[in-house]
Amino acid sequence: MTERYVVKRLDEIAGYADPSRAQWFPIRADFGIGAFGVNAWRSGEAGQELIGEHDELGDDSTGHEELYVVLSGHATFTVDGETVDAPSGKLVFVGDPAMKRSAVAEEAGTTVLVAGGKRGEAFSASPWEKHAQGLQFFATKEYDRALEFFERAHREAPDQAGVLYNLACAESLVGRPDDALAHLAQAIELRPSFREAAQTDTDFDAIRADPRFPAAAG
Amino acid sequence: MKPWETASLPEIEGLPGPGTLRWTPVRRHFDIRAFGVNAYTAAEVGQDVVEEHTEQQNGHEELYVVIAGHARFTLDGEEIDAPVGTLVFLRDPTVRRAAVAVEAPTTVLALGGKPGEPYEVSVWEFDFAAAARGKTGDYKGAIAEIDSGFELHPEHPTLFYQRACWRALDGQPEGALDDLVLAVELGGEKFRTWANEDEDLDSIRADPRFPA
Repeated sequence: MTERYVVKRLDEIAGYADPSRAQWFPIRADFGIGAFGVNAWRSGEAGQELIGEHDELGDDSTGHEELYVVLSGHATFTVDGETVDAPSGKLVFVGDPAMKRSAVAEEAGTTVLVAGGKRGEAFSASPWEKHAQGLQFFATKEYDRALEFFERAHREAPDQAGVLYNLACAESLVGRPDDALAHLAQAIELRPSFREAAQTDTDFDAIRADPRFPAAAG
Repeated sequence: MKPWETASLPEIEGLPGPGTLRWTPVRRHFDIRAFGVNAYTAAEVGQDVVEEHTEQQNGHEELYVVIAGHARFTLDGEEIDAPVGTLVFLRDPTVRRAAVAVEAPTTVLALGGKPGEPYEVSVWEFDFAAAARGKTGDYKGAIAEIDSGFELHPEHPTLFYQRACWRALDGQPEGALDDLVLAVELGGEKFRTWANEDEDLDSIRADPRFPA
């Protein structure tokens, strides 16, 4: 039987932890919350990206309104090109899904909680959240498991650019260059910003010298 | 609607809730419409940070996050120690929940919504906001808060009942009786029972239209 209530400390929620990136606490997925999205991120060091630049449009999102809450530490948000100083206790609400938003930690241990949902619609989890669960296998260098995860995700959602990109990463890392190049090209076709991301993504080092590798935009 | 907006919790006007609760209406401040979100801050040890209630009426899941201080939750009679960083998720709306501060100040953030349904602003928000105005003697302000609730819930018996109370206190007997009759008509016997025990309605109790 599903538990009627669950009590946990944030640190008890096991998430994707890559030392080079902020730690993700998948609160919604861990508790099985069905009514709204909620996650947290904590920086390992000052200067670390807490919230990658994104909007809430496109195939990886669901048009969510988002509320960010700085639980501890000190962050700097950038919303629609404007910088926002965000010490502990600051709330940043982004109602318009088209606004670009991102955040960087000013201190180690800065923790940001984010809640989201779509106005006028029943909540459904963002596709990125599902994909993000597969990213843990890159952090632990379990590339076969990453490949298996994203192959399955790709079968379920063939046109998801984020899935294709991560599938290409896994294929590159397990030594399947032809598949990696094909899927990377498809990912870029669906989301052109992946062309730039691929230039510095070390997951593609094995295929970067291939003439078919997408060149940086001129 | 502004495309984006920021605030710190102290910048949002806190309102007195029921009992010792101090309510920071975060959702209302930003006009968030996708989920419910509020904060509750206790300035003294022993003050409520979650008033005792269930979510049976709204059917909401709730997530409480202790964002400062130290709280003690009581969930269906079970006491839960909840220092800063504790998350309390209540899936089952029938669980009776409450929390008090064991350190001061303590702040708890509460998120809520009903799975499988679009979020609707809860009626209690208008009720709380009206009560905060009414407690200071600003009955017209309280009526205005309830009126704003009718924009989203045009036939909600609780709003008619609450407006009846504020109108009665404000010396508007006709309007109060109209509202009270409607509350009982739409909401049933529960409202008749409440009306017969509610001192706020004393000024209209002798009227033949009063639902005795």
